[in-house]
Amino acid sequence: MKICRRRMLQLTGSLPFWPAVVPALASQTPPKDTQTVVVKLFGAGLGSLDSYGTGVLVSAEGHVLTVASHLVSTGFLTAVTADGRRFTAETVATEPSMDAALLKLKTEPADQFPCIDLKTAVEPAVGTPVLAWSNMFRVAAGNEPVSVVHGVIAASVSLDAVQGKWKFPLKSHVWLIDAITNNSGAAGGLLTDSDGQPVGLIGREIRHATSGTWVNYAVPLKTLQPAVEAMLKGQRLTPAAPTTVAEPLLSARDLTGRFGLTLIPAVLERTPAWIDSVVPGTAAAQAGFRRGDLIVLVGDAVITSESDARRRLAEYRAGQKAAITVSRDEQLLELSLLVPAATTTGR
Amino acid sequence: MYQSSIVLLMYLSALSLVAAEDLKQSEQQRIEVIRRISPAVVCVMDAAGAGGGSGVLISADGYAISNFHVTSGSASFLKCGLNDGRVYDAVLVGIDPTGDVSLIRLLGRSDFPFATAGNSDNVRAGDQCLALGNPFLLASDFSPTVTWGIVSGTRRYQYPSGTFLEYTDCIQIDASINPGNSGGPLFDIQGRWIGINGRASFEKRGRVNSGAAYAISVNQVLHFVDHLKCGLIVDHGRLDFTVESDEQFNVVVQQVSELSEAYRRGLRSGAVLESFAGRRLTSANDFQNVVGIYPEGTRLPLVWRDRTGQHTATVRLGPLHAFQKTPELPQERRPEGHPENDSQQPEQPSPELLKLFTAREGFCNYYFNDAATQQLLTPMLQRLADVTPDMAWKITVSSADEATALQGEIAVTRNTVGLRLNDQSWLQNTETPKLQDEPPTFPGFLLAVNHLHRLLRKDKPAFDELTAAGRTVHQPSGRALRILLARTGARSTRWYFSDDQPLPVALDLEPEAATDEIRLIFDDWKMWSGLLFPERLGIVDPTTEQVSWLRITAASAQQEQNK
Repeated sequence: MKICRRRMLQLTGSLPFWPAVVPALASQTPPKDTQTVVVKLFGAGLGSLDSYGTGVLVSAEGHVLTVASHLVSTGFLTAVTADGRRFTAETVATEPSMDAALLKLKTEPADQFPCIDLKTAVEPAVGTPVLAWSNMFRVAAGNEPVSVVHGVIAASVSLDAVQGKWKFPLKSHVWLIDAITNNSGAAGGLLTDSDGQPVGLIGREIRHATSGTWVNYAVPLKTLQPAVEAMLKGQRLTPAAPTTVAEPLLSARDLTGRFGLTLIPAVLERTPAWIDSVVPGTAAAQAGFRRGDLIVLVGDAVITSESDARRRLAEYRAGQKAAITVSRDEQLLELSLLVPAATTTGR
Repeated sequence: MYQSSIVLLMYLSALSLVAAEDLKQSEQQRIEVIRRISPAVVCVMDAAGAGGGSGVLISADGYAISNFHVTSGSASFLKCGLNDGRVYDAVLVGIDPTGDVSLIRLLGRSDFPFATAGNSDNVRAGDQCLALGNPFLLASDFSPTVTWGIVSGTRRYQYPSGTFLEYTDCIQIDASINPGNSGGPLFDIQGRWIGINGRASFEKRGRVNSGAAYAISVNQVLHFVDHLKCGLIVDHGRLDFTVESDEQFNVVVQQVSELSEAYRRGLRSGAVLESFAGRRLTSANDFQNVVGIYPEGTRLPLVWRDRTGQHTATVRLGPLHAFQKTPELPQERRPEGHPENDSQQPEQPSPELLKLFTAREGFCNYYFNDAATQQLLTPMLQRLADVTPDMAWKITVSSADEATALQGEIAVTRNTVGLRLNDQSWLQNTETPKLQDEPPTFPGFLLAVNHLHRLLRKDKPAFDELTAAGRTVHQPSGRALRILLARTGARSTRWYFSDDQPLPVALDLEPEAATDEIRLIFDDWKMWSGLLFPERLGIVDPTTEQVSWLRITAASAQQEQNK
């Protein structure tokens, strides 16, 4: 494992990024079933507002999740399922803070639909290859399969974006995708990993508030799940609801006291995990850490900030060895840190 | 540096599951494939060496495919760059404006590298693909730009949208396609040529990659390539009936022209189309997709069902646009980098190059048509060297099927054809365009024999115009045969030639407008006394597609009395 990872570091160090992702996708063709849970939506549009969009079936009775766009607010929606059947769709509820809307297909009581189970939605790591399924540009008509586009989750961020001249109101955290997924009609489409596991709801065509660049993003389905459940029950989600699970975090004091490692304090929201000092004679010193090292990996997890490093290190128990990769003098080094026992004198 | 390390490492978490050896191997394979396919990729420029798009070589003698909208900005002579860094002269050979395809020929080598075609019907959504070409005219040394992606959808239909460029049955990809990629090849990950990148969905973001581009399928291109080699302005086809999809995914026939072949075969409004050209249909788009991949004039099998059951027939595609000259593209569809006031003056084409172009109304480049036509006619005329000149024919026939027990005689002069079968006889004057006296079971048979008489003249065939017109799958034989169109007045005979012998193997002739074609098959050509004539003559029944055979027992030719 150790050798294997080293080789890959060397390999990707000398090459552009994208070829590295290819084999991960190459072993799989897109899961066929995913096509059956994506519906094409048609409604009212005007000018740059498209008259078509995409939705995802989230219940066997025909509930469809999509974005809370003009298509939903103007009504008169027709949904075309993957097998080409056409249904009138009615809006059940909207959740503006997450830019989500729930529709219900007008069906015969016996109709059953393939659907995604939001509970099975996965939260893949940044860097995971993904597939985006949508009715973009209305390329597929009737029973024709929707378009599928490949990409990689590039970042997990909160959006600072505009739609036209208006500030885009989405409050939730989103994934940015390194491919052009948010095209005309793609909003409300499905983002999956390469196994077809549901990941996110493709967002609208919006631009970054400062740079003006088009943003390709998707709202995590895991984040949407409580809102969808509330909407299915006919309730509104309470505005204060976004529940953040408190993850154990190693305190800065613990890090210095126990490990002998001090990181540059978090002066910014995402201060990189730079080592400020190493206490001589501690586990950190034995492992070979030096002032100025940048922690880039703990185990296999990518470290993007100082707090990230403390969160990952908290997962190790005393006596375990943590493989930590640092960047030093433009080179990557893997150091092995023996996690010391909790100090009794610390606090 | 730290920042870039972070970005780099973000990708690594995705990789941790992939064995490094697999990664290395697949990467090495991809590099190998790109190395292998790149030499066949062409940078297509105008005669001044400016502007341009992309193309792909398809044979060692320099034939290359590009987009019509790429070459339409240039005159008939072009400059082409290959990744050996050299610039080659090229000439425009044939165009398919509707399908947005053009054929050019590069000169100066007999060992051009070329791409090997795959089967685009086997392409599936999710397949990896490689697009090679010349986006933004980046490569000054003509080494193509490579973009990688997946197939986003197959069998896509893209409307003409204000022009005549119609993309049917095309391959949708998410590999980056930008201005300058047009005309360049799409390959599968094994390096098989599967399409020609020509179009993308551009909307709010300007004319750059939007993640939705479309490639003309290689199977469509191959249906047209022999037509293009004949220097033609190749047309697409249409059928004289309309269809609509219904809620049950039936393709329902709406209106059928009463003058159409389909009507004569019994197709009526309300019938449900089951398949066309062997492809099952579930929507009007499906139907449009199949019609769009064949050249005008192709005869294809149609299966439909109505109250009386299932029916099968073959129908011929009629002309869609019938362009007489190269059509004009609207400004926004013209290739990038062809400024009207380009200061660069094209150099004068060399005499060798000039020889390869002949302008003629109705053709893209008549030089290539003439060459292809002579290729069909010369061996035939050589074969006719020993026949009696200016001949009158007398042929004794009997039915090959013993049960029908027909006995008779065909007598042919320059202006008349007579047929006697048992105690019935017919006489057709072939100078008038009207059918007068033809056997009711095979109307047009006498006229067709007259056309055979015109073709087999010792000096040269007696038609107003002879035009090589590509290659098609002949019905009902199923053989891919070369076509020679022989026009007299407004009427054309379609002669079919195989590659292995100089005399035609079949003939299709529409004796009068809106009537069934007479379709003959010639089997086992033989030198009789002074006359070349087949030993067996087949007549195709238009309804059943069954062939009735006449056996020739004697044939002779003699000098015709001058009037």
